[in-house]
Amino acid sequence: MFSIFNLEKKYGDLEVLKDISMYIGEGEVVCIIGPSGSGKSTLLRCLNLLELQTGGKIFYYGKNIDAELDTKKLRREVGMVFQKFNLFPMFTVLKNITYAPMHVNKMKKEDAEKLAMELLTKVGLADKADVYPVKLSGGQQQRVAIARALAMNPKMLLFDEPTSALDPELVGDVLAVMKQLAADGMGMVVVTHEMGFAREVSDRVIFMDKGYIVEEGTPDKIFNNPENPRTQEFLARVL
Amino acid sequence: MNLLSQLHFAKAAELLIPSLLSGFGVVIKATIFGFLLAIVLGMVIAIGRLSQLKPIRGVLYLFLELIRGTPLLVQLVYIYYVVPLLLNLLAGILGFKTDVQIASLTAGIIGIGINYGCYMSEVIRASILSVDKGQTEAALVLGLGKYEALFRIVIPQAFRSIIPSLGNYLVMMVKDTSLLAYVAVNELLLRTQNFASQTFLTIEAYTYLALAYLIISIPLSHLIKYVEYKLKTN
Ligand SMILES: Nc1ncnc2c1ncn2[C@@H]1O[C@H](COP(=O)(O)OP(=O)(O)O)[C@@H](O)[C@H]1O
Ligand SMILES: [Mg+2]
Repeated sequence: MFSIFNLEKKYGDLEVLKDISMYIGEGEVVCIIGPSGSGKSTLLRCLNLLELQTGGKIFYYGKNIDAELDTKKLRREVGMVFQKFNLFPMFTVLKNITYAPMHVNKMKKEDAEKLAMELLTKVGLADKADVYPVKLSGGQQQRVAIARALAMNPKMLLFDEPTSALDPELVGDVLAVMKQLAADGMGMVVVTHEMGFAREVSDRVIFMDKGYIVEEGTPDKIFNNPENPRTQEFLARVL
Repeated sequence: MNLLSQLHFAKAAELLIPSLLSGFGVVIKATIFGFLLAIVLGMVIAIGRLSQLKPIRGVLYLFLELIRGTPLLVQLVYIYYVVPLLLNLLAGILGFKTDVQIASLTAGIIGIGINYGCYMSEVIRASILSVDKGQTEAALVLGLGKYEALFRIVIPQAFRSIIPSLGNYLVMMVKDTSLLAYVAVNELLLRTQNFASQTFLTIEAYTYLALAYLIISIPLSHLIKYVEYKLKTN
């Protein structure tokens, strides 16, 4: 779906992404790992134009996302889940999920609500439909955020450290939902520090450091036989 | 009580209070329209100053400096007396003969609305900026447009946080409508001045005037505290 060529991103003089080239296939689960500050979030955010690249090209189904594609259309098809959930606090859980389908996709209220209930059931929170987000635990909020993204019927989801803001005992519930999504064939790009998840679920793992893709390959290759010394060093620290 | 026997509160009340009651109507009208104008203008300025276009930000900043650097009373007088003169002069230069005038209440509402709009725009701008950027991003990644995200997601959250300070501006505005007396708006102060100069019941008249403002502003500020409390507990 995404072909990235020589992507580069600078903030002023600070080069955050350097010469990133990669491909993301339909239905593929790609995990991006690496030390903090290595540019993982920025890469993800360039894919849905939350950040504007300063060099290189990104194609989405063959179309240059900068020039040939309607940004809103791209974002409808490529959903995103944030580290800090970012649920809308003034809406109930149900309305958080139905809002975009109704206002962006012009879905009828009853259809949107039916869809929302199905998705809430899927993430195990059907009983929370009428609750406001503040009343939920972090893990529950993140599962609602996933349901909200799914309600747009995306082709792919981007996750930026979806479990990093959670208490350790709540991480499992969110990862379980994500594993189920992967099993259902949803394409996902996941920036994560959960190495167990990356090893178990991903088709491909990408290791980034200092703005470069240092190494990529199957989970088996990256976790069991990393070639690059920087990868080895990083994994030695986190595993 | 020697003092009270020299004052004529009952007599003053009989004549002044009906007049003050009709003055209330003027105050309420000026406040409602002035405040609506101020909110709309405040929003427009606040959003304009968040614009990516530098010229828009620059012009709005200059306008704010102009308004905040001059007293409200001077602005009112300027709008009521000077602006029509300027317009007529300008028309005259272009060869038309005009006699533009601005109704005093209209001038008052415009003046007070612009002045308060400028101050309120700063509060509104700060409140928009204080909403977590993640809210805008969450809206954008769901496919909402920039303005939809601003108006439907960010501003509703911003407004919740500024209702108390907007309320304070409302109470201040009620009291500041007394300045409209200087542009011939027949509000409470002007009515009282006229009454006092005709009857010489100066002490009585201005005491009633002060009470009249208290009767409006104390319940209003309590109402605002109540709304604030309700918002907090929800
Ligand atoms: N808006 C920004 N302005 C300036 N520098 C930024 C901005 N966003 C990120 N950076 C910098 O870019 C680098 C990479 O950031 P990020 O992509 O968030 O890394 P990661 O997600 O891998 O931790 C960091 O050094 C960070 O400080
Ligand atoms: Mg990050």
